[in-house]
Amino acid sequence: MISLQVQNNQQFRINEIPFLNKNDFIDSVSEGLSNGFSMIGLFPIDKNQPYKIISLLADPDSSSIHITGGEFPKDKLEYESFATQYLQTNYFECELAENYGYTPIDHPWLRPVRKQNIILGNKPYQFYKLEGDEVHEVAVGPIHAGVIEPGHFRFQCHGELVYHLEINLGYQHRGVETMMLNAKKNQRLILAESITGDTVIGHTYAHCNVVEGLTDTQISLRAQVSRSVAEELERVAMHLSGLGGVANDIGLAIVSSSYGRLRTLVINSLALLCGSRFGRGLFIYGGVRFDFNDENVNQIISNLEIVRKDVSAINKFLFSSTGALTRFENTGIVSGDLAQQIGLVGMSGRASGIETDTRIHYPYGAYRYFPVSLITLPSGDVFARARLRALEIDESLRFIFEQMENLSGGEIKTDVGATNPSSGVISIVEGWRGEIVHIAFTDNRGEIMQYKIKDPSFNNWYGLNLALRRTAISDFPLCNKSFDLSYSGHDL
Amino acid sequence: MIDVIKLRILQGDPVIHDVRNASLPKLFRGLPTIDNKDCPSGCEKCIESCPTDAIKLNPVNIDLGLCVFCPLCEEVCPGKIIHFTNEYKISSDSRENLFVTNETKTILVEKASEKIRSYFGSSLKLRQISAGGCNGCELELNALSNVNFDLGRFGIEFVASPRHADGIVITGPITHNMAKATEICFDAVPNPKIIILAGTCAISGGIFQNSKETERKFLKENKIDLFIPGCPPHPLTFINGLLDWLEKK
Repeated sequence: MISLQVQNNQQFRINEIPFLNKNDFIDSVSEGLSNGFSMIGLFPIDKNQPYKIISLLADPDSSSIHITGGEFPKDKLEYESFATQYLQTNYFECELAENYGYTPIDHPWLRPVRKQNIILGNKPYQFYKLEGDEVHEVAVGPIHAGVIEPGHFRFQCHGELVYHLEINLGYQHRGVETMMLNAKKNQRLILAESITGDTVIGHTYAHCNVVEGLTDTQISLRAQVSRSVAEELERVAMHLSGLGGVANDIGLAIVSSSYGRLRTLVINSLALLCGSRFGRGLFIYGGVRFDFNDENVNQIISNLEIVRKDVSAINKFLFSSTGALTRFENTGIVSGDLAQQIGLVGMSGRASGIETDTRIHYPYGAYRYFPVSLITLPSGDVFARARLRALEIDESLRFIFEQMENLSGGEIKTDVGATNPSSGVISIVEGWRGEIVHIAFTDNRGEIMQYKIKDPSFNNWYGLNLALRRTAISDFPLCNKSFDLSYSGHDL
Repeated sequence: MIDVIKLRILQGDPVIHDVRNASLPKLFRGLPTIDNKDCPSGCEKCIESCPTDAIKLNPVNIDLGLCVFCPLCEEVCPGKIIHFTNEYKISSDSRENLFVTNETKTILVEKASEKIRSYFGSSLKLRQISAGGCNGCELELNALSNVNFDLGRFGIEFVASPRHADGIVITGPITHNMAKATEICFDAVPNPKIIILAGTCAISGGIFQNSKETERKFLKENKIDLFIPGCPPHPLTFINGLLDWLEKK
């Protein structure tokens, strides 16, 4: 395929990207997709030139990202949809259609991503409808029965069995990407922290990587290690929270509250480091704001010792309980093949046997020197997604202990210069849900002119759609919690 | 059964018994203090650094309803007159009380009216609405019900249906797409009812105050009973705010 190959966080010039005519672009991207690359972006570099778009395809085997540009006739923004053959691109094409008015011909399921009125021309969205005896429809949301974010779910059921689920999002749309462009420099980090409040570290990490890439900033090893430790703390905390949620959904109160107690210890450890239980304020361009010292290292280690000891007892109880396993196993299955086709990422993908982990396949920061192990499970059901999280907690704790016991010296901040003009950087980070992608391009004055964010939820909501098919509707909360997806990360 | 008991024993006693006097890590950024010193003439570093324009000069004051507690102003201030303390009792029933000046020692919560206290003093059920919240506030509100904070012991709980609720807690800047749902939900709560705003985004829009995708009309049309600042608010800020307002021990 014709493309510019770059690595994670590598700076490149915009004029290095090959811009092909429409047909060559389609051929080239299709070739990449047929090689098994996964799409991480499809959008114009310059909002004022929507007819020039780029496709970003990531190849985990060579750790590289292929950038291919395509120039469309200005008055005819239409093309044969990739999604007819490669399902994983379908939502990227919906987003392109919604934001820039493209028409993907024969798209299997063109639907609104965040703005109801654009694709549909102010008509209400028509949900897919099942008809027949004993068929019924269940509508849930946007406001749900709990302290959670809003989204609308529409089930087509036959008795208890769900035949089809549609998830309609966009309620949390705050315009983060647009605000990133117009923001003052000191606002961007706060915006990045507010993309999803449960993945503060993951998103600020990707944002800092992008800015540091654009400014040729090398950060110290100590800062890199601090960032990774924070990221793993976030992963442990949210995995504990997710396991607690799954246990709660099957009525195991003691297990749920035990996980909740341990999560408190972990997020309080983050607060010991940076003052915020979610890691807000920790990341700055060029390093981290707060440093480890003997006092907080000792406190954090003693907190995590308790977590390590207790979590194994709780895991043992949960994963040997017949009641729990009966609910977990063979519920909400996404097979390995299907997961590959629809492009599941992160922990939900690894629970369906997809062997991709950004920390290993597109290594960045401290993970280049101190690798983590890849964990996958084959079954793709609620059990796999829950069990995988338990295993990832163990691995993250191992990483944290290893790093905190061998902290290197050095500064934690490096000065950051000006952003280079007419350049771009792609940063992929493995947040606790999966791959977080931030992409920025600068104009000829060095100002950021395009900023794209892809949360792992963008890929994985589709997985939840399909997992529910032929599943009892009463298992929906359990399936939903096992994916544990973000609304605000999707809606931006 | 034995295993469950073992887990319970492992659990120990994680409850924060004294929520009024619990202490937070010293790095926690809560109530800022402003020293009674003159600023160098022409210095506007704190204003320039603030990502949400929460600081005004002459005299220096910080609006906790806009502040995202990011410590930039504390870092850039040449005279070091701004300092974030770990004081978490920063809720208030009035928007004006959230402006911190060099005279501010504490943020006050005026106790609620006799009527509200008699209605809701012993049992308060709340319906939370996430209206563009990033899930930060939502996680902290969820944490209120965990074994550490255990909000239920004070008779305050989150419920599933607005019909069962005595009021709503809004998080997030209220997006266009949630404006209507927020209104419908509030209408479904039977009278008398209260409105609590949790988090900077809900109180002022916060970092999203200039977003074109928000629609904050609802807040202008209704009386707000309690403001709980923070990004996100610490669970102790929420608990203490409510306990003070309802005048509970």
